[in-house]
Amino acid sequence: MDRRASPADIATSSVYLDGIPHEGFTAIRETEGLVWHPYGPIGDGNGERNGFWAVARHADVREVSRNPEVFSSAVGHTNLWDLEADALEARRSLIDSDAPDHTRLRRVVSRAFTPRNTRNWEGMAREIAAELVDAFVAGGGGDWVAQVAAPLPIRVILAILGVPLEDADYLVELTNHLVEGTGDGPSLPDDAYGNTTPTRLLPFNSPASHALFEYAERMRQLRLADPGADLVSGLLEAEADGERLSANEYRNFFQLLVFAGNETTRTAMVHGALAFAEHPEQWAELCHDPSLITRAVDEVIRWATPVLHMRRTASCDTELAGTSIAAGDKVVMWYAAANRDPTVFEDPFRFDVTRVENPHFAFGGGGPHFCLGAFLARMEIQVLLEEMVARNVVLQPRSAPVHLASNFVHGVASLDLGVAS
Amino acid sequence: MNDLVQLTVDEDRCIGVGQCELLEPEVFCLSDEDTISRVVDGAVLDRARALAVVEGCPNMAISVKA
Repeated sequence: MDRRASPADIATSSVYLDGIPHEGFTAIRETEGLVWHPYGPIGDGNGERNGFWAVARHADVREVSRNPEVFSSAVGHTNLWDLEADALEARRSLIDSDAPDHTRLRRVVSRAFTPRNTRNWEGMAREIAAELVDAFVAGGGGDWVAQVAAPLPIRVILAILGVPLEDADYLVELTNHLVEGTGDGPSLPDDAYGNTTPTRLLPFNSPASHALFEYAERMRQLRLADPGADLVSGLLEAEADGERLSANEYRNFFQLLVFAGNETTRTAMVHGALAFAEHPEQWAELCHDPSLITRAVDEVIRWATPVLHMRRTASCDTELAGTSIAAGDKVVMWYAAANRDPTVFEDPFRFDVTRVENPHFAFGGGGPHFCLGAFLARMEIQVLLEEMVARNVVLQPRSAPVHLASNFVHGVASLDLGVAS
Repeated sequence: MNDLVQLTVDEDRCIGVGQCELLEPEVFCLSDEDTISRVVDGAVLDRARALAVVEGCPNMAISVKA
């Protein structure tokens, strides 16, 4: 079968060491129909067969996202690589499931993340943000990732989960290893953290998942003995359709919440801070008119697009953008590309806190997998920006960000920023 | 003139995101028991706001009553 080949490499993780390959995404977006992108170890001969349809236009991402019956999250999984059936089952979480399983699991946690309930955490998030920003300013700047962007979201999600805050650094270390698991090679020996499970059965193929599962089990024992109002207790008490979560569902849930609750919001805060440092007129505009805050938050999120893609798998033969897709084909939604689609965003490469029409897909393109933590992330980013505005903190770029080699998370390992005095 | 319409939530589709309650707190209420959004009895909206909340639901669970 003739498939239109991708005009650019957007899958090799090391490409992302230079940031998002926007030129490549633009070329893909501008190619008629869909392009087929090879995937897998170079030179093993399977790259073409293991490839995927690259979906880059906003309208097409929306179409895939909102048709879960055709574009399944459960047939394959939501990352690019292939999994054997047993690995798929061992790793299945909310994110890798379809209705009705997905609906059942989602309803176990949805209450904790509604806009109304998210407000309960705002005061705490504001206190943490204020403390971190004050320390950053007092120190004359430094690594924004380590000092502000990483600690804020992990502390908030751990408070929601009811996990001791003193374990924040350890859990950040573990989820950082998971992100590395999306890179081109293993970042840890298979037996790291005492792991004995074959890594192909672990989320992100990472022994750090074993450590997270062990941690989840310790929290389970703790909360079974002494339940509270926290989300771990909620997961353990949940009666989804009359059935409690299985041990596997619980630990995958825990892993997902710790991962998604910190890596993504951190990434938005990093790219947001860098954008304001590089575009001081935008910061001045927000400081001059703080009522722009909600627009600024969404522009930061669009600009950052912390999760670069999610994969679906066609459950039947279908067609998208005039291209035939066969049952079993991987279909990958590149949010990073959709969020720069010029047919939707005016002047998409301009960071603009006054942007009114901003239907970005950083929380996904709609459908059942819409980001569970969307309102929590927005709230955290908003309180951070508000506390910075209140202190008139002006960030200054000092050196280029150190990007991660990941095609999945738009991650930054470190970002040195200064503070104008 | 304002064209007032009624809305309905597909309870099988609703995944309890809460976007509707955020946009139109007078019209939608997320149940404390099952986190499913329900329309407040007798609530109506003008068509433009109704369409905005229909479009705003990430999982397409809201529709205008015929």
